[in-house]
Amino acid sequence: MVLDELKEWLYGCTHCGTCKSVLEIFSPVCPAGEKYRLESYYPSGKMLIARGIVNGVLNLDNDDIMERIYACTGCLSCEQQCGVYHRQHIFEIIQALRTEAVTRGNLNPAYMIMVDSLKKDDNVFGKPKAERGDWAKDMGIKDAAQEKVDVAYHAGCMVSFDPELWEVPRSAVSLLKAAGVDVGIMGMEESCCGGRAYEIGYLGEFTKYAEHFLETFNSLDVKQVVTSCSDGYSTFKKLYAGVNIPAKFDMLHMVEYLDSLIKDKKLRFTKKVPMKVTYHDPCHLGRHLGDDGVYEPPRDVLKNIPGIELVEMERNRLNAWCCGAGAGVSQANPDLSLWTANERLKEAKATGATALVTSCPWCERNFKDAVKEYGEEIEIYDITEIARKAL
Amino acid sequence: MIEAVKNKIVDELEKVVGSEFVSTNQADLYIYSYDLTPAESHWPDIVVLPQSPEELRAIITLANKEKMPVIPYVAGGNVGGLTIPLEGGIVLDLKRMNRIIEVNETDMYAVVEPGVTFGQIKAYLEKNHPTLRYTYAFSPSSTGVMTNALVQGLDNLSFRYGDASHWVSGLEVILTTGELIKIGSCAASKTWQAIVPFPELDGLFLGWQGTTGVITKMAVSIWPNPPHNTAVTFMAMDLESADEILKAIIRTRIPDDLIGTSFALNKVGMAAYAHEKASLHPALHREPDEPEFVITAEVTGNTENELNAKVEAMGEAVKERCKDGNYTGPDTIPSTTAAFPMQALGVLSSGGGLMWVGTYGPMSRWLETVKKGCELQDKYDISRTCYTRIMNEGHFVGLRWMLPYDKGDPALVQRINDLCAEQLDLVLETGYIPYKTPVWAVRRLEEVVGPDWLKLHRRVKEMLDPNNIMNPGRWGKPGK
Repeated sequence: MVLDELKEWLYGCTHCGTCKSVLEIFSPVCPAGEKYRLESYYPSGKMLIARGIVNGVLNLDNDDIMERIYACTGCLSCEQQCGVYHRQHIFEIIQALRTEAVTRGNLNPAYMIMVDSLKKDDNVFGKPKAERGDWAKDMGIKDAAQEKVDVAYHAGCMVSFDPELWEVPRSAVSLLKAAGVDVGIMGMEESCCGGRAYEIGYLGEFTKYAEHFLETFNSLDVKQVVTSCSDGYSTFKKLYAGVNIPAKFDMLHMVEYLDSLIKDKKLRFTKKVPMKVTYHDPCHLGRHLGDDGVYEPPRDVLKNIPGIELVEMERNRLNAWCCGAGAGVSQANPDLSLWTANERLKEAKATGATALVTSCPWCERNFKDAVKEYGEEIEIYDITEIARKAL
Repeated sequence: MIEAVKNKIVDELEKVVGSEFVSTNQADLYIYSYDLTPAESHWPDIVVLPQSPEELRAIITLANKEKMPVIPYVAGGNVGGLTIPLEGGIVLDLKRMNRIIEVNETDMYAVVEPGVTFGQIKAYLEKNHPTLRYTYAFSPSSTGVMTNALVQGLDNLSFRYGDASHWVSGLEVILTTGELIKIGSCAASKTWQAIVPFPELDGLFLGWQGTTGVITKMAVSIWPNPPHNTAVTFMAMDLESADEILKAIIRTRIPDDLIGTSFALNKVGMAAYAHEKASLHPALHREPDEPEFVITAEVTGNTENELNAKVEAMGEAVKERCKDGNYTGPDTIPSTTAAFPMQALGVLSSGGGLMWVGTYGPMSRWLETVKKGCELQDKYDISRTCYTRIMNEGHFVGLRWMLPYDKGDPALVQRINDLCAEQLDLVLETGYIPYKTPVWAVRRLEEVVGPDWLKLHRRVKEMLDPNNIMNPGRWGKPGK
């Protein structure tokens, strides 16, 4: 979306500040606002910046203004709290400011590696495309590009190129196999979903990947595409609707699929996993999906694992505090990203849990990095890693 | 301001609070340059976010030395343009000073820093002191507890206790000289229970819109939180009936809160609550079977029997006084406190703007003032949006016409400004005094208060702020 198309929403904000805290419990919601405290970092401040840019009072050719525009994790918690008519367009306006910056040539140098890598290797981490399927090397998984499968597992950029997270896709595929699912992967032929490109303002790149994703899986005639990446999942569910190619397959997040396999009695857990855990709702699996937010399936999965005690953080489900990795913040502003993650880890620790479980590799990566940076004593897992322990 | 001087001050400020909490960035300055009202925009030179009274004292001392304006700011949500830096200078954003320092259960007060919000104190009391409550304004939950009291706000216990400055029981203030003063019992003891029996020095700061000093701590009364509550409504088909109903309820001394609104305001608000844009212009006209005015009394009880008896007694009082009145009711509905924190949504959803001529005045002239004010709205083809709150058991009345508007519509902004100018003339004629007074209304008030009042007022300002650095251009001294 570009700024000109959003003019009707620009004057919605009265700067009332309701977006700053969770309704009813009044705990903070905005990572950038809470870290930096200047009004320009809060969503209402960014709405005023957008107004200033459109009215010619402010200029995108200003590093500090650009820094504020990119200091937003796209968690949508502000949209959850705001009651005014423009509320579902807040991040859209921030994203449009980023697109405007890219269009005007005011590029954010922090994203150059990511953008170049997308163009060259179809991923956001500057890694060779040939290494994309390395996580599955010894697993004997079907190549969905070569042979017919019912379910294609889409790993996504994060877990494909981060060996410390390989246990996530490996666990996911193991669970699918244990449930008798006919599953395959695309390996090195897999591409980025384009979600990050969209969030940092590169609409052209996003459209390219969206079309590629849809055309590829349509041509493979798979019934379902399953992913462990919440970013990728919400990109597909929410953003691909704007691309004029109907999908011939169902898209599921791994946690939804896992939940259905358990409820259909196709997957049974036999081993005890004695842990007290708390669950972190990824923004892209929750608020980004609106009324279709996936909140109960992960909790149902955890409750089905013998020995697991699940405790909730104060801010959960629709009101969950962000992990800090979203919308390009982990690449451009690691200080904000890790600080945000650590705030969540403190909240998780306060529940008495010894582990934080989530269902997005971007969250998991960021939490692991925050543990290294800040030293909070808590273990971090993807839900599939916990489930696999119970097989 | 000369760039070299500004840079020197910025350097000094960074030493005090750290560079991350000082900004001269255009985005920040722009955001603090205007608010939801149509008040003229003025840019600050610097924004600073201190965290402690010590930091605050250092900033004010520096500003005083450099004769640089200082504008205290918490949420900027007042409907008076009160934090717009008329003469530039330093915006002192106090949101980092947000500790609830003490809640005294027995003496029923809370000591708070400037950044504490209504939402914060509500959550804190519910969690830690559930038998006590604070009062809540018709405003967003991000509104500052202290600023609401400083600008004499009207809240949902105002029928019992008056405006918010009436329940201040202690202050700690930094003067422009850097002196730190405690006012009230806290000056001589460890408790903050009351301003009296000292000379009431709080009057040097309350209602002054931050033009005489910066409050660093404030004690506010908190009250028992009765377990039973309900709201009672009456629908008046004309303003005469509304006037009689209000007077009947006032004499019962029963409710905690007594408010009235134009029915049209409620209708406009319906769109907002459906997350749609609300609009006052062109005016929504009343259907023949629709009421003119809705009166709501908030009632609480320690037991259900007490609650029911109060509701019944209030209904009887209205029935007795309003025999010839044209109204329906009483009807009971869930307590309006359940609407917090979204109670103000209806007037925050028209396009970024909200304006009103808000006043305090006598109940004796309520009917005539409301009628004329609503007729002015008819003249401007603006929906009737009167909002009234009975204060201090009817000893005075809060009265305003809510004017949410689209900031992106210059013609509508002009219409609203013209209406407000006429409404201000009206209220000054009928003895209603503007509160949270925007600077243009301050100047009008100064024309009518009498020269000796003005001289005294200016002498007080001169004594406390000789260099005129505290939110200059407002109360106490006109702008340059």
